[in-house]
Amino acid sequence: MPHILVIEDDEITAREIALELAAHGISADRVHDGAQGFQRALEPRYDAITLDLMLPGMDGLTLVKQLRERGITTPVLMISALGDVDERVRGLRAGGDDYLTKPFAPDEMAARIEVLLRRHRQEHPAQTKLRVADLELDMISRIARRGARELTLLPTEYRLLEFLMRYPGQVLTRAMIFESVWGLRFDPGTNLIDVHIARLRRKVDGEGDPVLIRTVRGSGYRIG
Amino acid sequence: MDRGTALANGTKSWSIHWRNTTSRLLLAYGVFFVIWGMVLLGSIYWETRHYLENRTDTQLRQQVGYLRSLDEDHMLVALNDYVVLEETNYNAWGLFDAQGKWLYGDILQMPPGVKPDAATLRLPTEQVVGGPFAPKTSKLSVIAARLANGQILVLAHTTRIAAQVGSIIWHALWWGLSFTLVPGLIGGLILNRAPRRRIRQIESATRVIMQGDLRRRLPVSNRGDELDRLAAIVNDMLDQIERLMGEVKGVCDNIAHDLRTPLTRLRSQLYRVEQQMQEDDPHAVLVEQCVSDIDEVLARFRALLRISELEDRRRREGFVAVDLGQTLQHVHELYAPLAEDQSLQFALQTEPNLLAQADPDLLFEAIGNLVSNAIKFTPPGGSVVVRVKRTEPGIAHIEVVDSGPGIPEVQRHAVWQRFYRGEGGIDTAAGHGLGLSIVAAIAKLHDFDLHIEGGQGGTRMVMVCRLL
Repeated sequence: MPHILVIEDDEITAREIALELAAHGISADRVHDGAQGFQRALEPRYDAITLDLMLPGMDGLTLVKQLRERGITTPVLMISALGDVDERVRGLRAGGDDYLTKPFAPDEMAARIEVLLRRHRQEHPAQTKLRVADLELDMISRIARRGARELTLLPTEYRLLEFLMRYPGQVLTRAMIFESVWGLRFDPGTNLIDVHIARLRRKVDGEGDPVLIRTVRGSGYRIG
Repeated sequence: MDRGTALANGTKSWSIHWRNTTSRLLLAYGVFFVIWGMVLLGSIYWETRHYLENRTDTQLRQQVGYLRSLDEDHMLVALNDYVVLEETNYNAWGLFDAQGKWLYGDILQMPPGVKPDAATLRLPTEQVVGGPFAPKTSKLSVIAARLANGQILVLAHTTRIAAQVGSIIWHALWWGLSFTLVPGLIGGLILNRAPRRRIRQIESATRVIMQGDLRRRLPVSNRGDELDRLAAIVNDMLDQIERLMGEVKGVCDNIAHDLRTPLTRLRSQLYRVEQQMQEDDPHAVLVEQCVSDIDEVLARFRALLRISELEDRRRREGFVAVDLGQTLQHVHELYAPLAEDQSLQFALQTEPNLLAQADPDLLFEAIGNLVSNAIKFTPPGGSVVVRVKRTEPGIAHIEVVDSGPGIPEVQRHAVWQRFYRGEGGIDTAAGHGLGLSIVAAIAKLHDFDLHIEGGQGGTRMVMVCRLL
């Protein structure tokens, strides 16, 4: 079971994070100030950290910077009340892996943590092929196959499928998809991502195939 | 071009010059001075001349009186002396018999209108004497007297002194005027330069303020003159405006900000309820609808706060050279499936090598919003075109043209404002009406102009970009 360190000075938010993570089968330790958080973060037993940027003791940016300086690579999800674009860039530059603005939907937060956990695990072995059920994606020849059938994908569709297949069984929110596949962070309207997914789905899930790309009510999508 | 830049334009700088307070004062004073000088010197001239002419007349009368008392031989000698001895004035005489026939002297004909023993007459020179010895003055004083033997003696006299005095006075007038006016004008221009420089400073400061930087203030020097007092008043007014604007925006942002937290909490609770429900629970659909409604509200708040953030942003750190054609191509790629789903023709027209200084993500967002809007409001079967073209050196137009219902001229300005949504048919479409405000905020951040043109029944959104 993955173990997470929640560094958050607001008691209600911290409890909410822990509760939501528990619902996803992730256990969490809570810490309420920066200095203490830093000490705990040095311990190797955490798989990921959620980090509030405004903390008593030591602020989040300094904390993550010092962690990285000491060679600690535990993935960090930064959480901040500041929605400013520059703030986000600064957070990621300091060594954060992802950035979420308060207030956030807990399922969005949990989905991001899960992606961080998996990405961290995946980082070392360089994969050349992704496989979900009978769907296979060759990242060298850039060819996708569903069973024996070769799928003809547009570049965007290929990138979208690759992102979904990197995290099989994992809920990916529309915002996460938009950020990762298009590298953009604005609200394109709920409809847009759905349309892209629908097109990909028509190609991936042919007639008679079991459905692979599923819609998760109220959240986003999941493959497998 | 706005009025500020038009005023600063070189072609009008002269009119500006004269519209200036100091210049006007200077001009008025100059005119007054000229008139006053002319009146003063004119009256001196007139008085002097009058006096000299009177004296001449008296002299002539005395001379005639003296001459007629002599006998003829003596008189002729005296007359010669009279002509020769005078240096400053020109004198001429003529002696005529009782019938007016010439006998002696330079005056060869009886001048017209001259009567013996009458008052002095002023006659044009050419009517009295001619030839190379004629004086250059235009008029002569002429007097005639009947002698004891019945002959008529005519004496003519020019008052060269009077003319000389006149010309001295005129010279004095011109020199005086030019010595006063020319240095006065030059001095005025120099004096003017400082206030004009300050007006220009105020103008440029004001332009920045009009562009939305309410923190800027007009420059105030420590001289404390009228301009400073005016600038101080305007600065006080700006303080007040800034404070009020801050309050209004603050209230707006605070509402959005404060409501977000409870709404998010509400959403997560509903979401948790939804997760715990059975798939076939009839309430599940209802709860899902609630969650998506709250998402909609949260999206609006996010957009509102985003606009504020964009409006507050004055830094341009994220600005790099952006290829407009490429950006449009990416936007086209992103929105093409959406257009296709709505059975719209979605065309892209670009030109290569159009580089502008911009924040690439924000520019993408702006164009994306325009395209998304166009797709949303164009009925199925219509068309949307996104294109960029160089219209003149250094300027490119990004255009999003649709075949939708169009925006009435009166509403074209309002659509950029927060919470505006078109009347009639447009209203039925989903969307939170903040997209175009975001576009406007982004365009403003980039100093790009935005306008809407009505095509043939459709809408043409134009973003005017400055190229590198």
